[in-house]
Amino acid sequence: MKLSGTQLVWIMVTTEIAAMLGLRITPAIQVAKQDAWLSMIVGGIIGVALTFLVVHLCILHPNQTLFQFSQALLGKWLGRLIVLPYLVSWYILTAVLLRAFADFIHLILLNKTPLWIIILLLIGLVTYLSYSSGITGIGRFCELVGPIIILTLIVSFILIVQNLEMHHLLPFYADSEWMNILKGSIAPAFWFSGQFVLLVIVSFVQNTKKVLSKSILGVGITIFIIVTATLISLLVFGPNLSAKLRFPYFSAVRTIDILNFIQNADLFVLFILVFGVIAQASLYFFIASYEMANWINVKDWRRIIWFSAPAIAIITILIPGASAFTLFDEFWTTVVFPVCGIGIPLFLWTISAVKKKA
Amino acid sequence: MMRTAKLCLLFLLPLWLTTGCWNLKEPDQLSFVTGNGLDLTEDGKLEASTLVVVPTGVAGGGQISGGGKKESFHVISATGANVTEAIVKIQAKLSRVVFQGHRDIVLVGQKLAKQGMGETFDPFIRNAQSHIVSLVFVVKNGNPKDVFSNEPMFEPNISIALEKEQKALGFKPYLSREFIADVMSDGIQPLLPAVSLNSTKHFSYSGFAILNKDDGVKLVGFLNRKDSYYAAWMTDRLTSLTLTSFVPKGDGNVSLRLEKLGRRIRVKKVDERIQISVHLKGEGTIMENNTNLDPSKRKDLLLIQDELSHKTQKSVQLLVKKVQKKYKIDIFGFGESVHQQYPQKWKTLKKNWTKIFPTVDVSVKVDLQINDPGITNSSLNKP
Repeated sequence: MKLSGTQLVWIMVTTEIAAMLGLRITPAIQVAKQDAWLSMIVGGIIGVALTFLVVHLCILHPNQTLFQFSQALLGKWLGRLIVLPYLVSWYILTAVLLRAFADFIHLILLNKTPLWIIILLLIGLVTYLSYSSGITGIGRFCELVGPIIILTLIVSFILIVQNLEMHHLLPFYADSEWMNILKGSIAPAFWFSGQFVLLVIVSFVQNTKKVLSKSILGVGITIFIIVTATLISLLVFGPNLSAKLRFPYFSAVRTIDILNFIQNADLFVLFILVFGVIAQASLYFFIASYEMANWINVKDWRRIIWFSAPAIAIITILIPGASAFTLFDEFWTTVVFPVCGIGIPLFLWTISAVKKKA
Repeated sequence: MMRTAKLCLLFLLPLWLTTGCWNLKEPDQLSFVTGNGLDLTEDGKLEASTLVVVPTGVAGGGQISGGGKKESFHVISATGANVTEAIVKIQAKLSRVVFQGHRDIVLVGQKLAKQGMGETFDPFIRNAQSHIVSLVFVVKNGNPKDVFSNEPMFEPNISIALEKEQKALGFKPYLSREFIADVMSDGIQPLLPAVSLNSTKHFSYSGFAILNKDDGVKLVGFLNRKDSYYAAWMTDRLTSLTLTSFVPKGDGNVSLRLEKLGRRIRVKKVDERIQISVHLKGEGTIMENNTNLDPSKRKDLLLIQDELSHKTQKSVQLLVKKVQKKYKIDIFGFGESVHQQYPQKWKTLKKNWTKIFPTVDVSVKVDLQINDPGITNSSLNKP
């Protein structure tokens, strides 16, 4: 399985934007109010640094996935143990993502369709995408839909301009101060760095030289879009109202009304979100299955899919609903990210650096 | 390989079966609500009324069918513990599903406004189907039902009429989302346009309703039409304004139509005391001249300009005084200006702003500029 540098960029963009648009704007606004966009910028800078760390670690072990190089570094058992939290989090993340999105579709579009049918359809699609051609297929899919997503979002940014009111952003900085801005930036920072999927997918990129610049470019595009979307949510609704909206950017797009003619543009955003979520879920699904296959020493990773798909379907249906997301989110930001996103990569990186010198 | 292909097909099969057609809503299954009204009944129950469009009536009905003119709208109302319950009861009177995605207007009756309308917003934003760009009005001395039943002269129903009238009067549309953003902010109190019915049951715009967001968005009073224009000017919600004023030196009235309006609110801190200076600017054209002055001459033009600026300034000053003394509610958003210009100071003022606002020093300056005297020189009536 191969991946080109451009595909890497679009994978990062496509898989991050949808989830961040849907899930990350409101929490940032709740903490940092009208300065949430600053939080996003700060989060972006931290995200770039984290991406740098992860990608650099991968470059030290060319064409090896997380499992392979952690085995090489730490030996059979410790290497296995250290990958375990990743496996667990990827499986759960896929399930949570699918559930959150199924709930959203259920609420906005298909309220008469049973939730489990939506979930099963999403899982069917995700399974198909990853089973048919693995990361190559996902890469091609992202290369195709990524530009459409960006274009649609930029057009929505332009259409919304006349609804923006500058005074919503004032006063600048004074209300939240650096503590809150930093607090609001932590969760976005982890998301910008791409859910540590880079630890696995970088190994599929043939040209290792370009990996670093390409992945930073991917994060950069994402940061630009998310900062703009946060700014727009704030400028349309003001900090107080947007903190209460669950999907502020989506609601902001709903306010587009040009000459009583261009309305209901939210449909376009909804359908690009479908692309994004499918790409993201497929990616996690593939990586979870692929690394799981390595982990239990199964040669053909495709066989693992027949275990992964039902497992994720069950977890997705068992999640009690919207109330669980906040709890999950908190757990994710306080435990999973610091461990999997910073702790372990930093640990592995140090060992690699030491071993290389020795 | 064949097995894989078959399995994939099996997975894709449900896609054809689950097209979501059962979620289909055809327009002929929906009753389109173009206006929502909320009020209290005599015995204090919440009453919702809806203005439902009758499509066959709107589409030129009478002329095509040749028969009698079919009504283009219907007003239906019901009471309930909250808005949703009332809407459910309204549904019982309609054969088509109530659909709020095209709501243009929300009317709030004076009775409900007096008791506080804060509790009633939730469904309008929460419901994903609901239209968040509708306009909100307060019905002065009446209830929404009567306003809805009013048959406007041009438009098929009142909600379009009210929307267009706002624009014709020179107000920027004040959408429900802006209203709610104002209600949720700290430093400004919302102003809603008010509509009333006169003795012949014809609707007319009648100034702004002052609401107190700190007290459940309760109605405090109404500004008259003239004051409403000034208040809208100060809150940047006005696009045009026509002023008429007596010019003593010319012994007659002059009307000036302002097409370009600007405002600036500056906050100054003098010995820890807040001072606010309001600067209003307007540019426009003379519409009518009943004086013996000739506005095509620079001297007379300046005289008229100064006189009008001065008169307007006085009126605005009076308005500010009146609001500070009588209503004690910061409808001009001075608090927001302090918040933006002295954010640190605002942190201490915020809690007591309602008490501080009536005592704040406010200076008003109005600068009018006449760009064009019109296509005549001196008054046609006077030599």
